[in-house]
Amino acid sequence: MARVAVTGLGPVSSIGVGRRAFAGALRAGRSGISRITSFDPSGFPHQNAGEVRGFRPDGRLRRLDPRRWGRSSLFAASAARLAAADGGLDPGSLDPGRAHAVIGTTSGESAVAEALTAQIVEHGFAVQDPALLAQVPAGRLANAVSEELGLLGESLTIATACSASNYALGYAYDLLVTGEADVVLAGGADSVCRWAHAGFYRLGALAEHACAPFDRDRSGILTGEGGAVLLLETFDHARVRGARIYAELLGHGLNCDARHPVAPDTASVAECMRLAHRNAGVAPGDVDYICAHGTGTPTNDLVESKAILEVFGDDPPPVSSIKSMIGHTMGAACGFGAIAAVLAVDQGFLPPTINWTTPDPGMPGIDPVPNTARRARPRIAQNDGFAFGGNNAIVMLGAVA
Amino acid sequence: MTGIGIAGWSVLTGVPAKVTELYEEPLPSPTGRAVAGFDVRARLGRKGTGSYDRVTGLAVVCCQDALRDAGTAVDGAARTRIGVALGTTMGSFKSTSDYSRDTLVQERPYLVNPLLFPNTVMNCAAGQVAIRFGLKAVNATIAGGPVAFLNAVRYAGNAIERGYADVMLTGAAEEFTPHRAWASHLTAPPGAFEAGEGAGVFVLTGPRAPSWAGAHRAAEILAVATGYGPGGDPDGRALAGCAERALARARIAPADVAAVVTGEGADADGGEYAPVAWVLGRSPDRVPAGRDAGDCGAATSALGLGALLASGRLDGGGVVLLTARGADGAAGVAVVRGGPDRRGAAGAGADHG
Repeated sequence: MARVAVTGLGPVSSIGVGRRAFAGALRAGRSGISRITSFDPSGFPHQNAGEVRGFRPDGRLRRLDPRRWGRSSLFAASAARLAAADGGLDPGSLDPGRAHAVIGTTSGESAVAEALTAQIVEHGFAVQDPALLAQVPAGRLANAVSEELGLLGESLTIATACSASNYALGYAYDLLVTGEADVVLAGGADSVCRWAHAGFYRLGALAEHACAPFDRDRSGILTGEGGAVLLLETFDHARVRGARIYAELLGHGLNCDARHPVAPDTASVAECMRLAHRNAGVAPGDVDYICAHGTGTPTNDLVESKAILEVFGDDPPPVSSIKSMIGHTMGAACGFGAIAAVLAVDQGFLPPTINWTTPDPGMPGIDPVPNTARRARPRIAQNDGFAFGGNNAIVMLGAVA
Repeated sequence: MTGIGIAGWSVLTGVPAKVTELYEEPLPSPTGRAVAGFDVRARLGRKGTGSYDRVTGLAVVCCQDALRDAGTAVDGAARTRIGVALGTTMGSFKSTSDYSRDTLVQERPYLVNPLLFPNTVMNCAAGQVAIRFGLKAVNATIAGGPVAFLNAVRYAGNAIERGYADVMLTGAAEEFTPHRAWASHLTAPPGAFEAGEGAGVFVLTGPRAPSWAGAHRAAEILAVATGYGPGGDPDGRALAGCAERALARARIAPADVAAVVTGEGADADGGEYAPVAWVLGRSPDRVPAGRDAGDCGAATSALGLGALLASGRLDGGGVVLLTARGADGAAGVAVVRGGPDRRGAAGAGADHG
């Protein structure tokens, strides 16, 4: 069975665009949270989010016409272009039928859907802009990556909400190990939108100022956005073209709570971790770092911690949440987590959980890597992703040498 | 993908009817292809269904019917071995847009209903299917518009072959709403099909499926190939390539293909049939699934497969191609062969109407 190499990283995030900027921000524990500008937040009690300020895809994209694609598609395509460039890959050199795009998302072209809704509210259904209607299908996210890089293989958008880019990485892994692919661009994208901000607020799950995962006084998420794409290829393909391998994608686990639309389930999350370990051929004791789902809601962090303690015992590896820095980027979240885990393994550090002040007595033994990045040599990292609909997905990443 | 069988299936199909009573909002046409008299409470009861939007209701009911058709024993440890893969275009455009609308028209922008928030997320239907039947294996939602069903079949086949599930409830659903009706009306080419709705779900199993999965095989999906053609695949090259790859994987000769079921809306569209006929070097029967179903988005192909199974055309091991293409350039082709067990096909007219 082929092994899967991570050879390129394409983060388009609120704390930096591109591998160097993103890694630097993770090491510095920088916050990408600011007052919302995507929509007028003045009527909302809470007004912060993790927006990618000044995102201009024009300079990065070579084939896509940005006027014809929505914000999330442009995040995905820009991130894919970045990942290919970071990996030194010339897409024109590929066997195009063996190169695929797999992109996860929660809300697809949410900003386009909101613009159409504003048109419906103001002037009625009949005056919606057909050009915007053509942009709203969510399948366009993967199509944008295929179009931008000229990939002729599968173009698949997986819409399993906030674990979606782990689903995408998992399917990409399968395509590569089963010989269906030489190269897969996989990750996720989403855009900050008004309806999600409102929905999380009404669920009582939206923080006012800062997201503080694993803190006793954590109060919820902040919505975020961006595109996070990884360049994956078989070891053979990477070696033949002389690519640098940052890390190995070791495997993944997928399951479903099948209990509640929004409340996570400890036993099911723990089982997903075991499935991921089994698929990747690792034992809990091999895992050196957990890049947490860590949304910062009281429930998620408690459930995730309990599941970790159930699977790993009383002394689990360090567990940090980069959502403290970039907010909850929804369908891109696991992609950013995977990029952070790859950087951790490749560069030898643990990204911090910022905004952390007070230990939570409800999660004994959890080390959230508080506030400051830590030098370390993690060999194997676990990247957690959970979602509405009980869609759990976890990927395992490991050092190569 | 080899030897993926259809152990059971079900479709919910719309018929041309007056739709003005369905919604308060204006519609582009007084008629549409809605599933007549669809009442999720009548089918599933009140418990747990209160928050369902229309597409979720269609998907859950269709899954229930498909599981019953297959005779799948859904209990105990089997639940951890049954997964879901559902295709969509963007979930419920109506649920999403109505939620966004509330942030604009309510006295305060946050006065939205928290219970309906999950309906704005595209995996709502698949998640509710899992909750309703307790299905704990991989649970995927695939967004791909007209190609999403074939994408979902391919995704599900991988999940079975990789051992992540023994059974995959695989299908697609779309709802008739003012939002979809107007989107079809404002973007479809002139003379193309009007908006419809429906759901089609197929109980897929591998060659070594456990007995609880359901015994009979209505048909086999011998291969699925999907791909992308830049610029909207104007010359149909991506679709033709999918047909070539799928036939090669299935080891089926062009002469053995009895028909091509396309997602086309009329006999004259030509966007799908022509490239496939070119690959086959001949012109077998063309069955445009959208002609009868209307524009059912992701569900069109699923309804086409259902209609095919019901038609008897696969009896005795007949082979048919199922094709789909999206506006941007995504394409897919499946090779379907009739199974030795004819119960699914023979009973279909009555059971699946």
